[in-house]
Amino acid sequence: MDQTHIRNFCLLAHIDHGKSTLADRLLELTDTIPARQMTEQVLDSMELEREKGVTIKASAVRMRYTATDGEEYELNLIDTPGHVDFSYEVSRALAACEGALLVVDAAQGIEAQTLANLYLALEADLEIVPVVNKIDLASARPDEVALELAELLGVEPHEVLRVSAKEGWGIEQVLKAVVTRLPPPRGDPNAPLRALIFDSHYDPYKGVVAYVRVVDGVLVQEEPLLLMATGAETEPIEVGIFTPEMNPTERLNAGEVGYVATGLKTVRECHVGDTLTSALHPASEPLPGYRPVKPMVFAGLYPVVNEDYNSLRSALEKLQLNDAALVFEPETSQALQFGFRCGFLGLFHMEIVQERLEREYGLDLIATAPSVAYQVVTRSGEIVEVASPADLPDPAIIEEIREPWMRIQVFTPADYIGPVMELITRRRGIYRTTEYLDSQRVVLTYEMPLSEMIVDLHDRLKSATRGYASLDYTFDGYRPGDLVRMDILVNKQPVDALALIVHRDQAYEKGSRLVRKMKEVIPRQLFKVPIQAAVGGRIVARATVSALRKDVLAKCYGGDVTRKRKLLERQKAGKKRLKQFGRVVIPQDAFLAVLRLDED
Amino acid sequence: MTIHKPAALYMHIPFCRSRCAYCDFNTYAGLEELIPAYVTAVCREIEVAGERWGRLTVPTIYFGGGTPSLLPLDLVRELFQVARSRFYVSDDAEITLEANPGTVTVGYLRGLRSLGVNRLSLGVQSAHDDELRLLGRIHTWAEAVEAVEWAREAGFANLNLDLIFGLPAQTLARWHQTLEAALRLSPEHLSLYCLSVEEGTPLERRIASGALPAADEDLAAEMYELAEEMLAEAGYFHYEISNWAKANPKSQIPNYKPQKWWPEPETRSLKHETLSEEVSPYVCRHNLTYWRNEPWLGVGAGAHSWLGGRRWANVRHPREYIAACGTSCQLVPHQEVEEIDRRKEMGETMMLGLRLAEGVRDTRFQARFGRGLEQVFGAELAELQDLGLLEWNGRVTRLTARGRLVGNYVFAHFV
Ligand SMILES: Nc1nc2c(ncn2[C@@H]2O[C@H](COP(=O)(O)OP(=O)(O)OP(=O)(O)O)[C@@H](O)[C@H]2O)c(=O)[nH]1
Ligand code: SF4
Ligand SMILES: [Mg+2]
Repeated sequence: MDQTHIRNFCLLAHIDHGKSTLADRLLELTDTIPARQMTEQVLDSMELEREKGVTIKASAVRMRYTATDGEEYELNLIDTPGHVDFSYEVSRALAACEGALLVVDAAQGIEAQTLANLYLALEADLEIVPVVNKIDLASARPDEVALELAELLGVEPHEVLRVSAKEGWGIEQVLKAVVTRLPPPRGDPNAPLRALIFDSHYDPYKGVVAYVRVVDGVLVQEEPLLLMATGAETEPIEVGIFTPEMNPTERLNAGEVGYVATGLKTVRECHVGDTLTSALHPASEPLPGYRPVKPMVFAGLYPVVNEDYNSLRSALEKLQLNDAALVFEPETSQALQFGFRCGFLGLFHMEIVQERLEREYGLDLIATAPSVAYQVVTRSGEIVEVASPADLPDPAIIEEIREPWMRIQVFTPADYIGPVMELITRRRGIYRTTEYLDSQRVVLTYEMPLSEMIVDLHDRLKSATRGYASLDYTFDGYRPGDLVRMDILVNKQPVDALALIVHRDQAYEKGSRLVRKMKEVIPRQLFKVPIQAAVGGRIVARATVSALRKDVLAKCYGGDVTRKRKLLERQKAGKKRLKQFGRVVIPQDAFLAVLRLDED
Repeated sequence: MTIHKPAALYMHIPFCRSRCAYCDFNTYAGLEELIPAYVTAVCREIEVAGERWGRLTVPTIYFGGGTPSLLPLDLVRELFQVARSRFYVSDDAEITLEANPGTVTVGYLRGLRSLGVNRLSLGVQSAHDDELRLLGRIHTWAEAVEAVEWAREAGFANLNLDLIFGLPAQTLARWHQTLEAALRLSPEHLSLYCLSVEEGTPLERRIASGALPAADEDLAAEMYELAEEMLAEAGYFHYEISNWAKANPKSQIPNYKPQKWWPEPETRSLKHETLSEEVSPYVCRHNLTYWRNEPWLGVGAGAHSWLGGRRWANVRHPREYIAACGTSCQLVPHQEVEEIDRRKEMGETMMLGLRLAEGVRDTRFQARFGRGLEQVFGAELAELQDLGLLEWNGRVTRLTARGRLVGNYVFAHFV
């Protein structure tokens, strides 16, 4: 297909505004997926995405569309996630596109990630087509929302499309706009090959599969390839497009989106953001890559059985191919032995990574309490980054501890300013500004420590505002704070993986809540187990898990034997996410108790 | 002379007047009109089993349910006739029938006795009528007492009473009263069950909805310990986790004083080899078959069997069961057939045998599996002994008092 008949675009929106549902309708209308194979949010193909009803991975798909003028177009669509923890997926997808559909829920209006994603798209020089979705809802305010969008983008209100992805209203005009309002790709088909790797996954047979956008030249299966950053060379095994399954085509032309099965078995040779070129006629300059991701939250991931350490390493490496926002390095813990300190974009990201490692690689893991990265200034003037409370140096050599602060923006109906204010100031937030989006909705700006934000701030905001508030944040800088390490002792033994860093003023309060929470989640054991919180060797709080008295005194006769045995087998095998420390068993929830201190 | 394999015989009678609130057994209310056809089907299954397994020697027969006392006497007779025609039912066979107060008369019980039933198991459950109502039982305590008197009158010298503890909102004092009331009836045998709230039962729904409080687990443990003390005092032998039998006053073992459980090692006056039967003639021999993991044949809807190295269960619904016995001339369609390999059988032998005060004996284990306990479960035994949950002296292993309360924790080490 010649370049003028290609359109590459992505779907951007705040979470749940209907991107994936709109993608369904586009796939249907273009006959990409036959009606009988259609399911809701068909591009959310990962088991976890379907269970949670949320897009986690960006996914690409090619469609053929015959426009009203009779011309046939090739449309490459990338559906992106709306959750803020997966914004790195969005930014990478943008580099493979010339345009974006900015989808906004007609009832909810503009929300935090609507703006955040819009700014990412503008930065990447994309042409934007605004779309108001869910106009079928009784609570829809299509005119108002269209007006807001028009003002935001500096377009006429009638240029804002109005659709219902669910009912299939207005889908044809979306395709028309894609063809007429978005530009075709601009690359040079005759220049040496340059293809940007925007995503990848590992396939046991085909090795690393790179998802590419061909910018210049042509990518053909017969020609050996060079990865410009790592210098690795390889003969591709397969070249093709997503329909949305992988479909071999043998070549990809300039401007097209597809995949290359590189055959590379070592995952370190292929990075997202690298440029593929021909090994025979290499391009002189690589494409601009991606800004490396900056993790917000760190936690240790440890195998429940120590023998799984190497499997965990290889699983992390493979998963990283498909989750470029994941970073990790080896770490040891006295309590948990060998594992990895991993960096995530947020707690949801962390949860998804743990789940994917367990499901896709058959591992059983324990995640330690999440922490932010602190800067410790030592008496000798050195600055050390500490991403794990256990690594905090001896207080005697610490001059100062600095913690990351964020600038946060809360989008909320004006009615909820009070509760939002209260929630954020309680968490050491500092108020900055209020801006009115319209007469009803405001954006409140604060500064607050990241450590206070990661701990369920988002959920708390939602419940304080009946689900209306949304949140966006950016890193602001490191600031000194009166911070101390709090150790947690289980059965009189400090468990390094449970240690946390807290503000001195909150130590007593947090310690008491934490031990109480842990008491709830640590199952009763054969002996009573004291749980203590200590700061600088002084116990600040204590709770006791009482001993297990009874573990079923049920009767057992003939008919029960098989059932009983299976129950016991399950009880035995079902020790998922439980770690044995001497005679005490600590479940995953105990490590995450620190996230739920505000619950009662 | 051919040697006939021994197997206990269980007959399942899946009919009840109405469904109790906690019941998740395979039983049905309002299907009594199926009873005659059902009995015919069971007879048919026994005939087929007789062909399949040959003339088994049957040392015990157990009519369980459901409510077997809903069977008219002539149908009980029919079942006996078929069983006796196909199997060698021992002369001294223990023949138990489960009965519910409110479903029997003295005449009926006399009839059972004359047919050969020599052990009666009465589901009395509680001495408090409000608790009986909460459980959805169809009878009162007074009716239970009456049933016991009738059973004695009819000549039953081996009587079991079932009691339940750990009910929502039940106090220790109320449980104490139930035990005392039951002891006044001098049953030869007592089965005490801790109520377990099963999924899908009305009781579960009421607890889930908050209409009833959940039972207190720790309190249930105390009720159990109270029962252990009271029954030991009253001369009962605690021979299985949930079962007590009146000890033989002229016990073959000199100096035997009933204890909470099998005497602890230092004070042991029993030989290691002593079997439950030697301490009390009233232990339930049929149920001992289960706990010793010995073979049995179960007939009737949903009945389980353990014979010839496999376990299986029959179809559950009586209608389906009747249909199946009517059409297939060979075998009742079995569901959930499971081949039990050595390792599984060893695990089951531990899981079941440790329920007994007599424990699991190394000599028996050796004879059965060709390998000793130490060799197969050395690590598990050492760990559990270390935790104070098991007693293990190289010859026999059994639960300690603490171990009895956390049986599942212990058993899980072996399966
Ligand atoms: N009433 C109505 N509901 C819609 C419409 N479009 C989507 N929805 C519903 O909105 C919810 C979210 O839809 P998705 O398509 O998964 O939203 P998304 O933007 O892809 O969400 P993420 O990928 O998780 O950010 C689903 O329950 C959809 O059924 C619409 O036009 N009308
Ligand atoms: S009498 Fe027994 S079998 Fe029948 S419903 Fe009640 S508990 Fe269940
Ligand atoms: Mg989606």
